[in-house]
Parts: sequence; structure tokens; C-alpha cells
Amino acid sequence: MLKIEHLSKQFGDLQALNDVTYNVKKGEILGLIGQNGAGKSTTFHSILSFIHYDGQISWDDQPINERVFDQIGYLPEERSLMPKMTVEQQILYLARLKGKSAKQIKPAIDQWMKRFEVKGKKTDKIKSLSKGNQQKVQLICTLIHRPSLIILDEPFSGLDPVNVDILEQAILNAKKEGAAIIFSSHDMGNVEALCDELVMMRQGKMVLHGEIRAIRDKFGKNEIFVTTDWSTAALSQLPHVAEVTELSHNRYRLRVDDPAAGKQIFQQLSNGEYIEEFSQQPPTLDEIFRMKAGDPR
Amino acid sequence: MKKMWIVTLTTYLRQVKSWSFVILVLSPFIMLLVSFGVGFVSANSATDSNDIAVIAKQPTLRKGYIQVAGKDNVATKLTTVKAARHALKENDISGYVILSQGKQYGAVYHGKEAMSASDKTQLTGYLSKLQTQTNVAQAKLSRQQLKQLSVQPAFKQVVQKREGLVKIARMVSFWILVFMVYMILTTYSSITAQEIASEKGTKVMEMVFSSTTASKYFCGKILGVLMVIATQLLVYLIGGWTSLVAAKRMNMAKPFFEQYGSLVDQVVHNLVNVNLLFLFLGVIVYTILAAFSGALVSKAEDASKAAYPAVYLSMIAFFATFPFQNNADALLVKIMSYVPFFSSYFMPLRIINQSAGPVEIGISLAVLIITIFGLTWYISSIYKGLILQADESNFWHRLRRGLAYK
Repeated sequence: MLKIEHLSKQFGDLQALNDVTYNVKKGEILGLIGQNGAGKSTTFHSILSFIHYDGQISWDDQPINERVFDQIGYLPEERSLMPKMTVEQQILYLARLKGKSAKQIKPAIDQWMKRFEVKGKKTDKIKSLSKGNQQKVQLICTLIHRPSLIILDEPFSGLDPVNVDILEQAILNAKKEGAAIIFSSHDMGNVEALCDELVMMRQGKMVLHGEIRAIRDKFGKNEIFVTTDWSTAALSQLPHVAEVTELSHNRYRLRVDDPAAGKQIFQQLSNGEYIEEFSQQPPTLDEIFRMKAGDPR
Repeated sequence: MKKMWIVTLTTYLRQVKSWSFVILVLSPFIMLLVSFGVGFVSANSATDSNDIAVIAKQPTLRKGYIQVAGKDNVATKLTTVKAARHALKENDISGYVILSQGKQYGAVYHGKEAMSASDKTQLTGYLSKLQTQTNVAQAKLSRQQLKQLSVQPAFKQVVQKREGLVKIARMVSFWILVFMVYMILTTYSSITAQEIASEKGTKVMEMVFSSTTASKYFCGKILGVLMVIATQLLVYLIGGWTSLVAAKRMNMAKPFFEQYGSLVDQVVHNLVNVNLLFLFLGVIVYTILAAFSGALVSKAEDASKAAYPAVYLSMIAFFATFPFQNNADALLVKIMSYVPFFSSYFMPLRIINQSAGPVEIGISLAVLIITIFGLTWYISSIYKGLILQADESNFWHRLRRGLAYK
């Protein structure tokens, strides 16, 4: 288990991390969300001991040092590899630095390149590959040694939908194999689809932490999605409706100030007749993100 | 240690497999081969037109001269005046000589230019000998008289060759050594600084530092570069030695080695001793400095500027030795021969001039080795801080931040 306890980091006058505490269990995926500068990459750099910090970070109750490096797979935020190396040389070099032998890794390279649909041969120079394919090779370098702690900094940025699916599948496979996975993302869709837990950060502080469903429910089911021929004016007259937003033709989102009013609104809207859509939901992660992670100003 | 070795081996193989390294290592030998080739071709092409033809009615007279002059210097196929005249017209020979035998031996030389001095000496010597034999026979001298007549004046040369030779050998050794140190230092300072600077602030370094410690990575890099340098030195040693042995056996170079053989041996002796150790350690200390300055550039794109500090320091040390090549006992030379970064130039200068004893050499070596270990330890401890930061701040700010990383 990855344990982060009272993690703080200051850069000059800037408090980059402020008393952050959470755990990531094996076989669990934790999503780290927050605006740029919220402290996500600083958290990763602290876990990997790239910077000095206050607080404690441990993996399986051991401090993170060279002895546990071999168990870690890390994908940095921006993509970069050694351009003059071939794909095979690059993968082997980084895998050997993770304690694997060339003999163990070589036979697996083709299989991983196929799985990630890398367009190119393993004898191609890194610089000859497209940016997207370089990104995939970097991901192979992160995962090929089968790490038990996987740290992915913005892994989905710059990927097309097809490659997002491939990456999601790879992350879920690693989870199935028992790895503890922590990744940062701006895309709430990815976080919602993959994560068991999330941590939301704002200006170095943890503003939300817990299971995604529980977090959403905590905000109450104060949104109702309806498809009706009622007008906006008529809908805003319904009890406890604070705001009406037209999403598309005849489709509206009603924000209510009391989730318990849902039943009453349904009865008034349907009047005992068939209604095409009536769905009472907690706010989406995206909305919670806007509410919580946004600038407090 | 295993991970450090992986970094070392990867750095080493990447360098030695590059075309620039192959060219760098082979270029002196290629130049040597080219100059030998040019010398050989010009010597060969010159041979024919330098030959002379020898014509004589008496075959023994002609044969005798060919034996004295050597077949290589005589156009042996030409036996008639007509053929020789034609060959001269065609510039195939430089001239022809007609020998005659009687009471008096005679020789008439025909050529476009005067007969060469060496040919003339050879010819007159040969004819004088024959003439003397004939004169003696005709004078009917007794054995005693003959013996008396053959007494020659004695001439001996006593030259203080040793002193002069040692002096020249020292000068030649000094220039070869400082140029070698300078060239190798400049080349490898640039290679190291650029190698490190190109990784500055790149995210792949974050992947590397999530796998091994920065100090192991740094030491691995330095060791890799040192192995490349050692490879180059080894190739130079083996290649140089082989060339020397081969050159000594070549007919073309024989006169050179007869004249300068002991000078060459003296120079080789001056180079292949503890000076080589100073050269190697000097390269190490400059390589570490270059790695440090490589890690201090603001971003990978500035890699080309990274070597400047090491190269400039090396240049200062290089030029500083010039005024002292004949004054190795100067106080400044003595001081500089203990100062790391300068000692690799100044101590060999003292060693060549025999102005430093084993104790002084030992102290200088010890200071250099301690500096190497101290610098390696210190830089490797702040290396992560230096290499992971990528900002546009000025050099001193980056240096301060790097040094503050602990």
C-alpha cells in the first residue's frame, strides 16, 4: 500500500503541498484531480523522492528509495525518450534499470507493441516515430517490468479516443494484476470510468477525498434531467426549482434546492402519464470539480 | 553497482558505435598512412628518372660499377649509347655515363643536368680504385711498398650527441604531450558536457531517476566516458607502437631511424610513463567539470554552450605552459604542478625536464586523485537537483539552486 501522510512542500513563498494524507491500496486506482498548479505533479515528485518534502511517504511500510524503485512504474507528464535509441534499445535500457534482464524483456516487446498498436518496428529509431507512437513506447517502458506501484502523470493528455481506450484497458489490466495505481487527469470522464477513489486538490490542499459515488452522493441529488414539452418559464415555477437550463430541444436540467422535492416535481410533471425522461442525479464530477477545484476568488 | 554498470555500458557503446568516434580514433592513422603513401609514391615515381645508364665496351667494367652503385640506381637494361640517348630524351633516365678502360680509366657523363654528387662520388671512387690497382700492377711494387702506400690518414669524430639529443627529445615530448592532453581534454569535455546537457530537464530523466539513484547514474555516465577515452588511448598506444615497429622495418624510413632512432626512443620513453597517468587523470577531472557544467545549462537546447567552462580552463592551462617549456624549475611551474586542472600540464613538463622527484610526483598524483573522488562525490550528491530543474533563470541562480539541493 502507498501511504502518504501529512505531506507538505514549500517552494520559496509558495506552499505547493499542504498537509496531504491519503493511501492507495494494491488492486486500487486513485485519480488525482485539480487545476494546473494544484500540486499533482509535486505529489508525484515527492513520492519518487525527486524533491525533499515534509511528512512521510511509504510503500509497503518501507520508505521509497532505491530498494523499491524496481517495483515502481512512472510515466512523466510530458513525453520524452532518448531519440537516438531504437525502440528496442530504449525499452531494454529502462527495463534493465528496473532490475529486469534483457532475456526477460526481449521476448515481451513484440507482444506489448502489438497490444498498444505501435506503428513501427522495434528496430526503428525513437525519433522516426510519430508523437503518438513515441507516447505508446513510453507507456510500454512504464509498464513492461510489471510494476506493483504505477504512477501516471496526465497519461491521457494528447491521446485520441482509440488510444484512450487502449490505455484504459492497460490500466485496468494492471489493476487486475494487483498493482496500486495513481494517476492525474483533467478529464473527469477517465477518472469516473477508472478510479475507485479520487483526491481533488486545490492550491496544494486536499479538498475532496473518497470513493467517487460517495463523493457525488455527498453533494445530494440536486439535479433533475427531464425531457418535456413544458416551457422554461413553467418549469421554473415548479416547487424548489432554483435554476432551469435548456440542454437541447425539450431537454432541461433543473437544479433543486431540496433533493426531497424530486417526487413532487415528478408527479406534477408527469401527472400520472408517460414521461420520456426523468432522472434525478447528484452533480457530475465535472461540476464538482468546477465547484471545488476552481479559483476561490 | 549493476545499474551503474548498465548506464556505463550504454554510454560507452553509444559513443564508440558513433561515426564521429571512429573517425576521431582513426584519423591520425589515416593521416600517417596517407603521408607514407604519398612519400612512397613520390619516391617510386622519382626512381626511374633519377637512374643513370652505364655504357662500357668491357662488360666487367660495367658490371663492377653496377655492383658498387646498386641495381636500383642504374638503368641496367640500357647497354648501348643509342638506347641510353633515347632514354635520356624521353626523360626515363637522368643521364648516362660511358666508361673506358686503358692505361687510364675514363668516364664521360651525358645528361641534361650535372651528375648528382652522390653518383659522382660513387663513380670516381670506383674508378680510382681500379686505377690504383692498375698503377700498382704496372709499378711492380713489393708487398712492403704496397702496404706503405695503402696507409690512409685517420679521421675520427667525437660529438656530444647525448646532451643535444636529450634536449631535443624533451622539447619534442613536451609539445606532443601538451597537444595530446589539450586535444583529448577539449574533445571529451565537449562530448561529456553535451551528453549531460542534452538530458537536462528532459522527462526521460525522471523515468531514469525513478529507477536508480542520481549518484549511480552520474558515476555510470562518467565511467562510460572514461572507458571511451581509455579505448582511444589504447588504440593510440597499440596503433602507435605497431606503426613505429613497422616504420623501423621499412626501407624507406631506414635513413630516418638511423639518424633519429635514439631521439624517437627517448620521446617514446618520455611519453609512455607516469605522464600518461597524468594525462588520463587530467582527462577525468576535466570530464567531471564538463559534466557539472553540462548539468548547469538552462535547458537541453543549450548543450553546445555547456563545454565552455571546461574548455576555457583547459585552454588557459595549455597556454600557461608555453613560457615555461625551457624553464621547468620556475616557482610558478612548481606551484601549478600541484593544482588540479593545471597539474596535468605542468607536472609532465617537470617530469620531462627531470625537475620533479618521485615524492613530488606522488603528492601531485594524490592531490589529483583526492580531487577526482571529492568532486565526484559532491556533484553526484547534487546531480538530481541540477538535472531535473529546467528553468530560464540565470546561471548563478541555477548554480545556487543546484548547490542548495541536498
